[in-house]
Amino acid sequence: MNKIALSIVTVSLVIGIGIIFLDGLKGVETAGVQSGQNIEIRDGVQYITINAKGGYSPRVTTAEADIPTKLIVKTNGTYDCSTALVIRSIGYQKILPQTGEEVIDIGTAKPGTSLAGTCSMGMYNFSINFD
Amino acid sequence: MSTYTFHVSGTHCASCKILIEDILSEQNNIHSVRVDLEKEVVEVETDINYDSVELAKMLTDKIQPNGYSLSVTKESTTKVEGDVIWQAIPIGLVILMLFFLLQKSGILNLGLGGQTTYVTSFIIGLIASVSSCLAVVGGLVLSLSAKVSQDNMSDTKTFTLFHVGRLVSFAGLGGVLGAIGGAVGINFTFTALLGILASVVMLLLGLNLVGVFEKNKISLPSGIFSFFRKVEHKTLTPLILGFATFFLPCGFTQSMQVSALSSGSFTSGFLIMFAFALGTLPMLLLLSFGSASFAHSKYAPLFFKSAGVVVIGLGLFALLAGLAGLGIISPLFNI
Repeated sequence: MNKIALSIVTVSLVIGIGIIFLDGLKGVETAGVQSGQNIEIRDGVQYITINAKGGYSPRVTTAEADIPTKLIVKTNGTYDCSTALVIRSIGYQKILPQTGEEVIDIGTAKPGTSLAGTCSMGMYNFSINFD
Repeated sequence: MSTYTFHVSGTHCASCKILIEDILSEQNNIHSVRVDLEKEVVEVETDINYDSVELAKMLTDKIQPNGYSLSVTKESTTKVEGDVIWQAIPIGLVILMLFFLLQKSGILNLGLGGQTTYVTSFIIGLIASVSSCLAVVGGLVLSLSAKVSQDNMSDTKTFTLFHVGRLVSFAGLGGVLGAIGGAVGINFTFTALLGILASVVMLLLGLNLVGVFEKNKISLPSGIFSFFRKVEHKTLTPLILGFATFFLPCGFTQSMQVSALSSGSFTSGFLIMFAFALGTLPMLLLLSFGSASFAHSKYAPLFFKSAGVVVIGLGLFALLAGLAGLGIISPLFNI
């Protein structure tokens, strides 16, 4: 095979891999739980629900600041990396049960701050913005 | 006492220098050996006089099994080398793309509800071996296997030891976790740091396999490669490496470790982790023995370079993910 053909194949493969990765950044928000529908305020406490299976959903949540907030992470037959949850800003790390709900107290957030969670290997993540 | 200078071919790494010097200086009547990797020459001091062609032939016999040869006149290097990389890059990228597509497809997230039994942990092992864990564990196995095969012809023993070490330590540590129960947790930062270390090793080995260092005639410091040389030549090291994979960051491994922790007895923890490791075995065996058989075929140069491209890709993926996991950089992808 000649070099030109192979370089064209190479460039198109690089673009292909690029699309796979970029798609991962925005694609998940449209699938699964819509941002905003996963927040519930009960008895003055804000509950944010995140599903953990093959990644976290929703990826980005916008929540209210200045109110005590709890994070509920739901697993359902989850064995992948998303069970190994790390939230560095509050020093939280735990391997979640394979099926269940984990309630994490994240205190009262200030406006404009955000909270980021990743799995232990770092390839799945979610963030919650407070405003 | 007389001195001979020979051209040497097949030297692709800094450890080759040490290996050639070790083997040749053990021979009778050889006083000293000095290898110059940059000029690709070997200087040999002998106690008695030889015909230089005869001596080159005699010494080549000793180092041929390791892939080196000596000659009096410089052998013309094959021009094929330069073209191989052009085929290796697309091959490597196709493999990487299939791997990432598989991750995105969500096939691997199939639900396995209920209690963790030995059968489910075996199936989870099978899934884990093609999941994103493959980027770290599989990438490491592939790069080490290719490297070992490139440097050493007797690779079967090394691979067998690695896989036995892996099975035994998973089972043993699983049993320990089951016996002591919830008292310990494996620290995430520790595993993340190990993962980053593994990805750096993968990147270095990947670049080496592709031949970046060879092309520029820059060899990595001998210190780094004397480590890999130990991997190749000692019995204990592959066992230890197999053991170390228990702690490499992999979500599946970690959730199995928790299952072992909560299983309540040595036997059940032992069996859960053993079944899991057994499930990951077919894929890893394929990687190490597959690379060995390619390495000994006529496609060896293409294989090493393609494997190098794959390993670099996986290493970068694991490194960026690992840094994001530690909170050092913000996450770049979600896959």
